[in-house]
Amino acid sequence: MMVLRESIIMKIHYGTALGALSLTVVHIMMRLTQDFHESLAYENVIANYESVGYALLLELLLILISVHGFNGLRVILLEMNQGPTYEKAVTFGCLAAMAGLIVYGSRTIFTASGWI
Amino acid sequence: MERETGAKEGLKGWLNPGKIGKFGIERLAWLLMRLTGLGLLAYFIGHIWETSHILDGKAVWDKSLEMTQTTEGHIFLALVIGMCVFHTGNGIRLMIAQMGYGIGKAERPDYPYKPQSINMKGKACIYATLGMAALAMWYGMAVMFS
Repeated sequence: MMVLRESIIMKIHYGTALGALSLTVVHIMMRLTQDFHESLAYENVIANYESVGYALLLELLLILISVHGFNGLRVILLEMNQGPTYEKAVTFGCLAAMAGLIVYGSRTIFTASGWI
Repeated sequence: MERETGAKEGLKGWLNPGKIGKFGIERLAWLLMRLTGLGLLAYFIGHIWETSHILDGKAVWDKSLEMTQTTEGHIFLALVIGMCVFHTGNGIRLMIAQMGYGIGKAERPDYPYKPQSINMKGKACIYATLGMAALAMWYGMAVMFS
């Protein structure tokens, strides 16, 4: 059933981790290069979303963390129990949750950016 | 050493403090890696939900921010920072170990059968990661409470 080998999935897991780490540093620096509380003001956050580069960074960050997070959850759940039906349910459940979160987060990014 | 009867202890096996005493700091790192991973995923889902309030206007955004602008909220965010730093540091250690660095050379197993891979380098990295997580939490609290 598995389309990807587990070794490839783990490479994706590590790649998304390193990618997410670099982008998270930029994301946090956006809050810390100015006053923390001011940086969270409505007008400031909207201005962040309207910047195309930053919106793209957020979208990429959303995808990387979702892939890494839900694959991590899949690995933990497969460590706890095994079996063909269980493994299929966990894999598809995690994929569905990942896709759902990416769609929900993208809706916020695209709408706040004024792209849709 | 008592014999392990099976690998299906589930959460009970995870959280059994006797296992940490028996297997050392590496076991604690294994447990914290999973707990921080689950905690960060839960926080991430909450963060995506919270930031979606920006679409409902300034009043709703300000109200949703109030959740984390309290003392309890700051402490919660400091915990998230600590989880993030530990998960990152320990993750990098594991990646380096999987590439074969710092785990010693393979050799014939002799008494007292100490695994090459569980050595002082690994232990030092785990302690350093715990220290960095604590420092990051302290810095985060200093910023949030300023």
